[in-house]
Amino acid sequence: MLTIENLVAGYGKVQVLHGISLEVPQGRLVTLIGSNGAGKTTTLRALSGMIEPQSGSIRLDGKDIAGLPAYEITRRGMAHSPEGRRVFPTLPVTDNLLLGAFTRFTGMRPRGDTSADLDRMFELFPRLKERRNQLAGTLSGGEQQMLAMARALMLNPEVLLLDEPSMGLAPKLVEEVFATVARLKERRITMLLVEQFAAAALEVADYGYVMENGRISIHGPADQLSNDSAVRDAYLGVAH
Amino acid sequence: MNILAQLVISGVVVGMIYGVIAFGYQLTFATSKTLNFGQGEALMLGALVGLTTINFLIGQSLGAFTAYLLMLPVVLAFGLLQGAVVEFLGVRQAIRTKSEAGWIMATIALGIIFKNLAENIWGRDALRFPSPLPEAALTIGPIRIQPMEIAIVLGAIALMIAVEVFNRRSIYGKAVVATANDRDAAGLMGINTRLVITFSYALSSMAAAFAGVLVAPITLTGATMGAVLGLKAFAVAIIGGLSSGVGVVVGGLILGISENLTGYYISTGYKDVPGLVLLLLVLTFKPSGLFGSAAIKKV
Ligand SMILES: Nc1ncnc2c1ncn2[C@@H]1O[C@H](COP(=O)(O)OP(=O)(O)OP(=O)(O)O)[C@@H](O)[C@H]1O
Ligand SMILES: [Mg+2]
Repeated sequence: MLTIENLVAGYGKVQVLHGISLEVPQGRLVTLIGSNGAGKTTTLRALSGMIEPQSGSIRLDGKDIAGLPAYEITRRGMAHSPEGRRVFPTLPVTDNLLLGAFTRFTGMRPRGDTSADLDRMFELFPRLKERRNQLAGTLSGGEQQMLAMARALMLNPEVLLLDEPSMGLAPKLVEEVFATVARLKERRITMLLVEQFAAAALEVADYGYVMENGRISIHGPADQLSNDSAVRDAYLGVAH
Repeated sequence: MNILAQLVISGVVVGMIYGVIAFGYQLTFATSKTLNFGQGEALMLGALVGLTTINFLIGQSLGAFTAYLLMLPVVLAFGLLQGAVVEFLGVRQAIRTKSEAGWIMATIALGIIFKNLAENIWGRDALRFPSPLPEAALTIGPIRIQPMEIAIVLGAIALMIAVEVFNRRSIYGKAVVATANDRDAAGLMGINTRLVITFSYALSSMAAAFAGVLVAPITLTGATMGAVLGLKAFAVAIIGGLSSGVGVVVGGLILGISENLTGYYISTGYKDVPGLVLLLLVLTFKPSGLFGSAAIKKV
């Protein structure tokens, strides 16, 4: 579904990614873990067109999308719930969700049943339903995180990129986020999940990549990575 | 008392014109953080294109009122196109290269070019614009007001409401607001934000062109009519705040009324002073404008 080869990207003259290759098969949940500043967010940004890759190929459904502007990539079915949530603060919750389906309302992607999908989001995130008319800028951090995820899902994406959906949330809410991700996985949504909670991410994922200084250092089936001693020492903490 | 009411009413009329032009400044600022300093020239071109169109239609033996109504869509379409041209020629590159001075110089330069163009096409003399409504003033209580002045106020309000409804109700309008909120995130929604910026320039010039044909029947029309209006509307946008819809209306009214009162009670020579003083005070004490607020954003 999503195949990345030798991706090189960065900001201006600073190169951050030094040739990343990874694959997200159809219907699978792949996680990308690594320490702060490793380049996880940069990877997702290059995938969704928020920054232009310097070289390498990104194939979505076989077609190379590297270098296309973000709106073009979205129209081809890649949804990105970005780091820092980036909800539209002056718009109500419902409008944020409808904008997630912008391409569907405007004939750039198959329309489907947008109002049924809106209802499904409210089912998945009941908090959002209660606050549907509230301005997104006045939501709590956790609520904004749910909104960012729901907004991305409103695309009916082929691939969903999630950048630290648990960031800044209380432990109870972190659990909820992982439960939601597990539910999306059951619905066979293809996902690339970036997470700081590496143990929890590997538990829910099918396959994992570990990133260090802009390179993939180790990858493998998630259960195998959880038991890998190097990964455990570096990323999974002492609790295991 | 009568004269005071009269002065206030005339101030409201002028103020609404300032308000519409200032509203145009806001539209482009919201999406791109840039302004069209040729906004006054957009108004002037709209009025002159309107003049040619309405004269043509009257020449086809239509009544002035019908001709005016038929002329409106032509002028609005022209305004949209003219604004898109300004963005394409003057602003797009500057935004791409993040050049601050670029768009300022380019929009001023385009304004000068438009003025010269207008002088060559329509001449340097001020021209009379046919009034679509009776020119005899109506007497309402203590005040006398021309029907066209009432039309100016209603037209200005209608335009701003129409844009607001578009922004709130339609998915394209929401896309404009989203772009104004967070351009990168809007791109992730599949919104072509560059096109949204072009569109906001188009809409901004359309508002100015509309203001041009609103004001033309009660003033004179000519290549130089835009410069002062554009500048004053800029002051209004700063006073009211570049982010507040209410602000431009209130700012426009403050400026329009204060000009009229000063002109009558003190001296016409000083009529621009209160507005400029207010502008300086706002810039000193509340640079975001009287009604401008920091965006609601929670981290
Ligand atoms: N906008 C930017 N301009 C310049 N450098 C940047 C920018 N964003 C990130 N970087 C740099 O790129 C490197 C990788 O950052 P990135 O955000 O991809 O890391 P990350 O793996 O997502 O980290 P974290 O877990 O803290 O979110 C860092 O060294 C960072 O300083
Ligand atoms: Mg990150």
